[in-house]
Amino acid sequence: MEKRTKRIDIIFYIILTLFAVIFIAPVFIVLMNSFKGQFYITDSPFSLPDATTFVGLSNYVSGLRKTGFLSAFLYSLFITVSSVAVIVFFTSMSAWYISRVKNAFTRTLYFAFIFSMIVPFQMVMFSMSKIANAMRLDNPIGIIFIYLGFGAGLSVFLFSGFVSGIPKEVEEAAMIDGATPVQMYFRVVFPMMKPIAITVAILNSMWIWNDYLLPYLVIGNKYKTIPIAVQYLQGGYGSRDMGALMAMLVLSIIPVVIFYLTCQKYIIKGVVAGAVKG
Amino acid sequence: MAGIRLSNINKTFPGNVTVIDGLDLEIKDREFVILVGPSGCGKSTTLRMIAGLESVTSGDLYIGDRRVNDIAPKDRDIAMVFQSYALYPHMSVYDNLAFGLKLRKVPKEEIDKKVREAAKMLDIEKYLERKPRALSGGQRQRVALGRAMVRSPQVFLLDEPLSNLDAKLRGEMRTSISRLHKTLGVTFVYVTHDQVEAMTMADRIVVMKDGVIQQYDTPKNLYHYPANTFVAGFIGSPRMNLFKAQVQRTQNKIILKAGGSSFEISSKNKALNEYAGKAVLVGIRPEDIHAEEFYMGLENTLKLKADIDLAEMMGAELYVYFDFAGERMIARVPSRMNVESSRTLDVAFDLNKAHFFDAETTKRI
Amino acid sequence: MIKKYVGKYFPIFLLPTLIAFFVSFVAPFVIGMYLSFCEFTTVSNARFVGLENYVKVFSSSTDFLNALWFTVKFTVVSVIAVNVLAFLLALILTRPMKGTNAFRTGFFMPNLIGGIVLGYIWQIIINGVLGYFGVDITYAAKYGFWGLVILTCWQQIGYMMIIYIAGIQNVPGDMLEAADIDGATYFQKLRYIILPTVSSSVAICTFLTLTNSFKLFDQNLALTGGAPGKETAMLALDIYKTFYNRVGYEGVGQAKAVIFFIIVALIALVQQYVTRTREDL
Repeated sequence: MEKRTKRIDIIFYIILTLFAVIFIAPVFIVLMNSFKGQFYITDSPFSLPDATTFVGLSNYVSGLRKTGFLSAFLYSLFITVSSVAVIVFFTSMSAWYISRVKNAFTRTLYFAFIFSMIVPFQMVMFSMSKIANAMRLDNPIGIIFIYLGFGAGLSVFLFSGFVSGIPKEVEEAAMIDGATPVQMYFRVVFPMMKPIAITVAILNSMWIWNDYLLPYLVIGNKYKTIPIAVQYLQGGYGSRDMGALMAMLVLSIIPVVIFYLTCQKYIIKGVVAGAVKG
Repeated sequence: MAGIRLSNINKTFPGNVTVIDGLDLEIKDREFVILVGPSGCGKSTTLRMIAGLESVTSGDLYIGDRRVNDIAPKDRDIAMVFQSYALYPHMSVYDNLAFGLKLRKVPKEEIDKKVREAAKMLDIEKYLERKPRALSGGQRQRVALGRAMVRSPQVFLLDEPLSNLDAKLRGEMRTSISRLHKTLGVTFVYVTHDQVEAMTMADRIVVMKDGVIQQYDTPKNLYHYPANTFVAGFIGSPRMNLFKAQVQRTQNKIILKAGGSSFEISSKNKALNEYAGKAVLVGIRPEDIHAEEFYMGLENTLKLKADIDLAEMMGAELYVYFDFAGERMIARVPSRMNVESSRTLDVAFDLNKAHFFDAETTKRI
Repeated sequence: MIKKYVGKYFPIFLLPTLIAFFVSFVAPFVIGMYLSFCEFTTVSNARFVGLENYVKVFSSSTDFLNALWFTVKFTVVSVIAVNVLAFLLALILTRPMKGTNAFRTGFFMPNLIGGIVLGYIWQIIINGVLGYFGVDITYAAKYGFWGLVILTCWQQIGYMMIIYIAGIQNVPGDMLEAADIDGATYFQKLRYIILPTVSSSVAICTFLTLTNSFKLFDQNLALTGGAPGKETAMLALDIYKTFYNRVGYEGVGQAKAVIFFIIVALIALVQQYVTRTREDL
């Protein structure tokens, strides 16, 4: 029995390692190629850089120059962090209000939020980008507002699910203790929502950081986020600089990996919570 | 100084569900009043209306001399202890106690003094820096009491505060709450479904059923003079035995017939005269059914041979179950008696202690 | 009373979200619906043309139907591949073995990389492999198709695996022990105990992969851009190209988007219905 389990385990380890190699290889190959001259990348993408193919950091230098990656990184960071903060702040308030003040209006609204989750972006992209233009929301500040509207569906849904599990008594106790609704929310309710707020923050960060089409349509002319910069580098087929592309791919993966390794526990928990509720 | 007066209070929930129907209740200043009744009787709703957590549909609610129908809970000079304790989970015990005072902008030193005073009284000083989840049920309960105390309100409202505790702790907390009431010298309104809590702690008890007060009196009076069969059955454990009997008048005697036997009632109970030819409900508490051999031959008894269905050993006494007049009876007899199931036992009902109720209205005669 | 107490604070708690939601979703949705019946190049010059756009979706070219067919094929294949592989990995990784955590961490990681970046990473690798045969990914639609399937697997297996692991860990240990005592084999336990308990995870994962695959855009744009021709363009990409690459066809694009929305909504409704009836059982 003991021996058999061990042998099976060895087989499983081999399978897992094989998968792990498949999962890591693409990132590794990109990293490897980012140090090779651009013509060697297309010729022999799977060989390690050697004396002739190694070009040091020149791909990174040219990539940074061509794409303005640094500013793209800052735009992405700014838009993601502020949008997530705004989404968590406002949608948690709304979700609490909707769950505690039940009437025809809030019920309809809740349904509308759920409904917005299933509508594909292509349905609204044209008119939304025109409205954003007309309302002067086509800048890194304005887009935060757009993200609040688009993020509201999932976020309100997740927050409401959580609020309906909080006993009302705690809020009633705060009411008797003399808290105004605003004090009640910020000093009692919101601290209790912390676990779900983390989930909402993580899901929205993953979405907004990687989002391409929405920022491209709304602010893409003037302000490039990382996905837009990467797509821009691609240019027309054939004329692109493969070396720079590799370097930029590496640079765009690094923040994600750092984020993942530092918040891994929360991310995985958040993903499970988000998926199970959704 | 805050008594509480409820005058013709009605409460209707959406969908036209009436839970409180024309309730009148007067609670004196510094009194300990307990609302008791089965679940859904409206006792919690009544308490929550006093707290201001439920609006009053119609009627007048006074705390002290003030009509408080439209006054926010925080301005009613009340504090409340919830069944689930409702502590703020993210705050330390200290902050839980201090929160209400902070919101009222009480100076820091004064808050500190009050919090420590209350903590000392409740013996939770050691836990002031802990979060509620690091406390046991009994400790949480005391924090909940402390949170109410620091505000020094005129009225304490307690909603089934002990129902989440185990039996032993519940006993201890009963005494501490009674002591607290004496020390603080304020009005306590307390809701429970446990009649033992009500009997042991209250100055006066309100027995409720279906949103209507059945009786409002001291524990002693409730026990000895229940106003109707509901109160009779609800107060006392094990419950009062009830059976139907036919009333007959022969000459100056009143004879009751039930379960194949007939017995004479002393003519003291004049009211029974009017029921001649009609049925009444007879109530008799389990301790008033005696085993014949221990019964010293008092007059006015109903004697019979009981077929024992079950005898439960409770320690000091035995609960003996048998059927009479189509009802199940319980008698409490000394446990040193040799009583076993499936045997017969000579029992005597002490009719001097019997209660009589109108068979139709179930009201006391 | 909380209701009344809090209710008055509508402007603070609800209004900001409500305005943002209205501006970026509700209004564009309603306008989008309306525009699908119009000919326009900007919102302001819209001219009502009735059902003409909808007719054109199908009559002007076979693009839309091709894209629909390609999307359906891709969705079916990727839903099956992702879920089967994710479930198997979850089964292995819930065994009492050392180092499972490191594997979980590794498998999940690709999910955080955005679609555009993912697309280019795989384009390089696939082109590198195909290069040995003298072709690239735009040579034939089948390369693009399988490229998209591989990419989707790579991106989503880790995510679904995490959900399956959570589901499998919910299987009560005493149930498995009872089955051991009854002499159940591993596959019997899998069939009669594990699978029924994780059926809700299966439903969640199937729905997630289904909608993710159906709405796929970024990866499609980056990996093949629809090439060769428009053969590997999925619905979202086809709609995008109709809108922005062909002047005068904005209305047709919007009509396609409405049809796309209806299909997605139907999928969601069916899923709702299926989970509801399952819960009733």
